Amino acid sequence: MLRNNAQHAGEKTVNPELTAKALAKAVCDGDIVNFRFLFSPFSPARRDSTERFETPKYAYLLPDTEMEHSDTFRAVLQIVRRGDIWAHVEQELEAKRPAQMPSELLLMLADNAVRSEKYTSAAQAYEVLRIRARMQEEFLNQGEIALDKGDIPRAVRAYLVAASLEYDYGAFPEPLPAVPNFQTRALMLHGDYPATPEESLPFQELPVFLRTGFTYLLLNPSLAAKLESRPIETRLDFFERLVHERDPRWGEFATRYQAACRLTQEFAERIQRALQNRAGGGDDDVLEDEIYAQLGENPMEIAAQLLGRSIPNGEWWQYLKEIAGEHPPGILFLSRQVIGEHETLLPRYRADSPLPIRLGLVEKRAE
Amino acid sequence: MNQALTDEGYIDYYAILGLGRDAKPGEVRKEYRRRMKDLVYEIGETEITEEKRAFYLLEMAKLNAAFYILGNANRREAYTSERDSLIALEQRWRTAVDEHSAEADALRREFDRRIRGFLSKYIEEAMLDAGRDRECVEASNWNEAHERHASRILRHYRQSLYQKVLERLPFVEVTPPNIDWSERTETVQSILSEMMRNA
Repeated sequence: MLRNNAQHAGEKTVNPELTAKALAKAVCDGDIVNFRFLFSPFSPARRDSTERFETPKYAYLLPDTEMEHSDTFRAVLQIVRRGDIWAHVEQELEAKRPAQMPSELLLMLADNAVRSEKYTSAAQAYEVLRIRARMQEEFLNQGEIALDKGDIPRAVRAYLVAASLEYDYGAFPEPLPAVPNFQTRALMLHGDYPATPEESLPFQELPVFLRTGFTYLLLNPSLAAKLESRPIETRLDFFERLVHERDPRWGEFATRYQAACRLTQEFAERIQRALQNRAGGGDDDVLEDEIYAQLGENPMEIAAQLLGRSIPNGEWWQYLKEIAGEHPPGILFLSRQVIGEHETLLPRYRADSPLPIRLGLVEKRAE
Repeated sequence: MNQALTDEGYIDYYAILGLGRDAKPGEVRKEYRRRMKDLVYEIGETEITEEKRAFYLLEMAKLNAAFYILGNANRREAYTSERDSLIALEQRWRTAVDEHSAEADALRREFDRRIRGFLSKYIEEAMLDAGRDRECVEASNWNEAHERHASRILRHYRQSLYQKVLERLPFVEVTPPNIDWSERTETVQSILSEMMRNA
């Protein structure tokens, strides 16, 4: 049966034009999965495969009319059709062994993947070409040059690309491109309960806070360390821009953060009144009563305010993970706090830090 | 393609202990204890961050494994011969590729299987086994918590060594790229400029 299939498949003809177009599309899209698939044993581009480009399920491999008419696509198609490359492609699609992909096309694919911010695809392609680490350095060098010139937006972009090309060699079972796992990292940052408010993450001294923030947002301590030598004002500008790059909807979080601050302030005032009552000979139970009066039936009111919605029976860490997923930088301005019998998240920031105002987390005070 | 024979990437436990191949078991033990004592002292004097914790855990695991393997005659002989034959196999494969020999593909498959096996056995397995060895536990205070943290660190280390070997091997999955680094720098600049324009 297998032999019959193979014989039948051997009679198949492949339209080379479709193969060329499919390869050019994968290169233009920066799509290493489709590119690899075209060289795989089950590829519709192979004569000995039973798969066919003409079937609707492979329409995604081919360019649409708009793409076909674009200058970029036509330029890539021309390179795919170039004598030496096309001869190699044909040879590899006929060979009865794992195909060797043409490096020139793969390099173009990787660059296009970076342009389209498909970083896992870019990292894989550069890794196959064995230039990933060096490409990271190239982007980082451009970041340093931009910093020297005071061009913060370009520097942040270059650092982010370099960080996004990172590979996780510890991944199981095989290495994979590193992905921004903010939810896990946020939990690690808030893993230890701060015994005093001063121990909490947002209360760290500014240089320490910036280092922690850079390491978290750039996913890489060595990239964060590179910024250490820059003046504090440059680091602040960089941080501000980085926050907006990592979270395009930062403004929404900042608005909710301000509301959460007001809620926390009201709560603190009530606690203060309760303490005064107790000092004045009031009932010891008043403090407890005040806490519950403030929190009502929902002890996670402040955390829900920060997230913008409540999580049924949600614990502090669930709120933290959700916030980290939606607004990664947001968790840098939060702290765990036990109130009554519950642990929740509170907005916290250093009053002497310029960051909360620059990031819109607190309203500007009138001069 | 012809590159000088190198053993970079094949973990060298003799080098980790700073010993020659003719080192006697007593020398292995003495050197291991001295280096472990220094390491434990250094750890005690250092403010431990997440990065440093990973670094010291790996250093400790490497010393433990070096003693565990080189301190036992059978394990030492097996390790040394496997390592030597693997280095020779790499050279045979590279020569076969240079000479366009028909056996190149078979050698590649064999090498790939054996290098993965070697690194797994002598990094992850040996380092974890060493952590359960009585003498290693006494010298390093290695415990279950270390073991729990170590698996990811050891996997990362194993893969980093594999990458070092891979760097000098013939290209298989892709044709050898012709990289012009001045062109690369220009491309990076133009990509960044495009991104800034589109932002």
